[in-house]
Amino acid sequence: MLPYAPWLVWLLPIFSSLLTPLVSRFSPKARNCFAVVVSLTALIFAISMLPEAYFNTLESPDLTVSWIPLVRINVGVYLDSMSILLACLVTFFGFVITLYSLGYMAGEEGLTRYCFFILLFIGSMSGLVLSDNFFQLFIFWEMVGLCSYSLISFWYKRPESVRAGVKVFLMTRVGDVCLLAGICLLYVNSGSFSFRYISSNIGQISPTVLAASAFLMLGGAIAKSAQLPLHTWLYSAMEAPTSVSALLHSATMVKAGVYLIARLIVLFGPLTASIPMWLPSILWIGTITAFVGATLALSTTDIKGVAAYSTISQIGFMFAALGTAYSTASPGWFAGVLHLIGHAFFQGLDFLLIGGIVHAVGTRDMRLMGGLRKEMPITFALSLVVMASRAGIPPLISFFSKELAIQSVLSSGYLFNYILLYVSTTLTFAYTLRVLTLVYLREKSDYLNQVHVHEAPKIMLLSAWILAAICLTAGLFVNKFSHIMEARLEIGMSEIFSFSTLALFFALSVGGISVYFAYYRRPSLPSLLMGKIQYIGALLKNGYFFDLFYEKGIAMGILAFSRNLKHVEAAFLNNAPLLVARLVLNFAYKIQRYLENTFFNSLPLLVAEGMLNLAYKTQKYLDILADELLYVIVKKILPSVSKIRKMSSNSINHYISAALIGFLIILTLVIITMLM
Amino acid sequence: MLLSMLILSASTIPIVYFLGKKSPKAAAYLVALTCMCDIALLFTTLPSILNDANHIYMESYYWIPVLRSSFTLFVDGVSLSMAIVTLVLIFASSLFSISYMHEKKSLAEYYALLALLSIGLVGVFITSNLMLFYFCWELMLVPAYFIIGGWGYREPYRAAFKFFIFTHAGAVFVLLGIGAIFMVSGDLDIFTAKLALMANPDLARWILLSFTAGFAVKMAVVPVHMWLPDAHSEAPAPMSALLSGVVISAGAYAILRISLGTVFPAVIATNFGTQFLHALTFFGMISAFFGALIALVESDIKRIIAYSSIAHMGYVLFGLSLFPYNEAITGTTFHLVSHAVSKGLLFLTAGAVMKQLEIRDIRQMGGLAGQMPITATSSIIAALSIAGIPPFACFISEFLIFVGAFRAIANDSFYTVMTALMLIATVLSLAYALRFIGHVFFGQSKHEKIVDVPLSMKLAMGILTVLVVILGVWPTFFIHLITSVTFV
Repeated sequence: MLPYAPWLVWLLPIFSSLLTPLVSRFSPKARNCFAVVVSLTALIFAISMLPEAYFNTLESPDLTVSWIPLVRINVGVYLDSMSILLACLVTFFGFVITLYSLGYMAGEEGLTRYCFFILLFIGSMSGLVLSDNFFQLFIFWEMVGLCSYSLISFWYKRPESVRAGVKVFLMTRVGDVCLLAGICLLYVNSGSFSFRYISSNIGQISPTVLAASAFLMLGGAIAKSAQLPLHTWLYSAMEAPTSVSALLHSATMVKAGVYLIARLIVLFGPLTASIPMWLPSILWIGTITAFVGATLALSTTDIKGVAAYSTISQIGFMFAALGTAYSTASPGWFAGVLHLIGHAFFQGLDFLLIGGIVHAVGTRDMRLMGGLRKEMPITFALSLVVMASRAGIPPLISFFSKELAIQSVLSSGYLFNYILLYVSTTLTFAYTLRVLTLVYLREKSDYLNQVHVHEAPKIMLLSAWILAAICLTAGLFVNKFSHIMEARLEIGMSEIFSFSTLALFFALSVGGISVYFAYYRRPSLPSLLMGKIQYIGALLKNGYFFDLFYEKGIAMGILAFSRNLKHVEAAFLNNAPLLVARLVLNFAYKIQRYLENTFFNSLPLLVAEGMLNLAYKTQKYLDILADELLYVIVKKILPSVSKIRKMSSNSINHYISAALIGFLIILTLVIITMLM
Repeated sequence: MLLSMLILSASTIPIVYFLGKKSPKAAAYLVALTCMCDIALLFTTLPSILNDANHIYMESYYWIPVLRSSFTLFVDGVSLSMAIVTLVLIFASSLFSISYMHEKKSLAEYYALLALLSIGLVGVFITSNLMLFYFCWELMLVPAYFIIGGWGYREPYRAAFKFFIFTHAGAVFVLLGIGAIFMVSGDLDIFTAKLALMANPDLARWILLSFTAGFAVKMAVVPVHMWLPDAHSEAPAPMSALLSGVVISAGAYAILRISLGTVFPAVIATNFGTQFLHALTFFGMISAFFGALIALVESDIKRIIAYSSIAHMGYVLFGLSLFPYNEAITGTTFHLVSHAVSKGLLFLTAGAVMKQLEIRDIRQMGGLAGQMPITATSSIIAALSIAGIPPFACFISEFLIFVGAFRAIANDSFYTVMTALMLIATVLSLAYALRFIGHVFFGQSKHEKIVDVPLSMKLAMGILTVLVVILGVWPTFFIHLITSVTFV
């Protein structure tokens, strides 16, 4: 293991993505090289972890960085064989797709943005599988959703892309919210987000809480992995550039739900089986999705639609396998993860080829194609690999994983699911042959005669060759996978010559023959059938009405409700204060009027009258007062006046004595002030 | 330090005014510079907040002795966070105004009012004296009224009047509460009032209700939200950013600090206390749904964001109602910070779009991602943060609120339904955010010759964008600050 490899695998692409705008300042070439080099470096870091996983000398690094101490969140990495294998898968696909994009996206506008999000995605997705706690997992879970949204809306000027981006983000968000609830519930009851802590203390969590959070997280996984009933977004996601579909919507991001379920089975350990109805729910959802997806793939005429529905269906197989896994030791768990890896390769390859075809033909409608085996021989040869893998022909890897999955369903005693899965396998082969017929084998359509069809550019084929080589040889290393995953399963080549293989071939030939008759001999048969059984036709055409329900029922319902709410607000809530204000104003006005009429108008008069009265009365009383006063004064003063006159007339001594007394008084006053 | 900060801010107002007469640009720079100085002064209190036993920094001055009221300024982790984010927003707004308000008249008055507003806003967060608090609370209102009225759109004085009347009516309730507290404790300091109220739980109920009603108006909780969409959408963009970022957050802060922090402990153990919290939860849920649903069908670019503010105040109220749970309160306070930055940024970008296009209806926009790449990037990041998508700021805070909510579920089944509804509301918030992005920035371009905004506006948006990302990736600093405060 290279030093700090588990960290650098995801940190390096994330930080490099931030540098992309800077690098692209130099030249577009530098930016392209930068993206390729970064993804290759991440791949090298990831692969350097493989030997430890293989020789079981894995020591999970305890290096964690405290992030939000309040809720004890640390950033850390969790290493086990599954996380390492998936990290390798993600970075490998990141590298291959980056390489492929150099050819596929050449000449597009906004490639800096594209590189930024591809690198951010590689980092986030590796971070998701390497997280050592639920919080970190959730952040990366949302970040890959964000990357998915941005990359689907890459051609932001096309209204369809924008609408698809919104739809995908919103539908997966519904699941994300469930996941968030499950994580919070688990944290509150266990006291930690950490995988290690939870798995060692799982016994102390009450069974109800464990069940509730397990189901909530299952909701998250269903939405992310496009399982019923939230599968419709994956078809809409096909508006993305095909390289993005290959990376996000077939190989890696869409598998996050499968990874989550597998991880939960690891964490819950022996308690997995004790959660009532949890595993059976996963099994049933998986089985039904596998069937529904296959039927939809059989009916669609969109070449990317086939790939999308096929992905949905194949993930259904993974879910079904995981639904039988009572612990990591049971074959179902191994089958689920193995199918995840195997499917990534052939489905990724399929998308790469589809990208080349759409590039060359300029349409996604398979009815307008045909006879491409001559124009695009390499693509044709490579797509045969895809078809063999998808059908599960031995000794390709998907043969083993599918066989294991179906067998583990049978051995768990679910006969109906077993049969349905076999039917789905048959349908898988049927739609594979249908694509082969429509696109490659039959005569050229009129449309194609007007288009100059050419083989895909070399750099695109190079990445396709890499994937094809792995598809062809990976089956030989099934035992190595089994060893890495500690599945304790000996899967030999003898598996190929068994009853189940015979059953498989029987199923495949039934499917093959039906398609042969339907499309090769009498191309009108399906339309005949559809015409006869109109319900099924309408059902398939509308994708079982899921989208109709979501768009017309839920989305339109919410919008209609909001519009009404807006009217209510405009009509009532906005007017309520106005009403109050008007009431207050009216009241004030009324008071004013009343007062004016009764009081204010007569006020001046009243005042004047009052003043006059007052003046009159005052005058009257003043007259009396003055008279009285005069009388009293005259009466009191007259005797004194006569006395004074008497005194003054007597002698001058009186005056002198008075002056002396006055002087003495002044003198005493002066002395007193001086003493003070 | 806090006093010198206020004095510094106050003393720059006349300078800003007279400088603005000569050159509005210089005035804007001066306002921004003052904010930076204020932040620097605030940071000097950091050691005592982090290291003191009480985790608090306090200054007390002799003031009105008749009311036994001293001029007390304090900061703890929560108020420091709020004050910092306020100043950052004012900084960004004044930078943004340079080009945004360029063609408007009487800019000297505008910048002087902006500087005055900063005192009111910061003052609310850094005082523990109710008298001073009320003074700042009203000081926040007056400049805002004149800025909305004087430089707003359409019928600005009508919107400003609505804003003023509503919040002032709320302030009456606040004043009532303050009077009652003075009656009970004979003091106007919230820390001493807390103890006095403990002895008087019957009266504390009424005080609690009165305060909360008053603050809820400022916070624009449904059904007293009516002023918000008008005021926020008619105000000039920098003012909208401040209104949505800080002014309504001040209401939430006041509920946390005064209603819950001071009065609520008196009734915490009673039945009434539980009912009160449930009522907050309920109104929070209603606001969150109401705002999100209307934002989903609104087509005026700024009204969408305004309704989103109502929705987010719903989250905040929901978080506040989880008062006994530490995670939730930390999350709520952090949400005030992260929402302020994100929503401020979103309003600034909306202003940038409106300035370049001179239309408001998002259905007539489109394809701006190619024509205004910087604005588009900032706006998309802000909108996604508002929708609670990691790695942006609001995700962390919403997450913490939900952790608190799930703690509450374990003790009180009432919260099960409420939390489920709030989780659904987050999906709605993503829906309106994506609708906003899709209409404005994606699709075919409908207007020719649109170029990106001038440098100063880009700079203002850039700073906030970086903050939104940093707060989302490394929230540790603020969360550490906030957790140093214990309310319960």
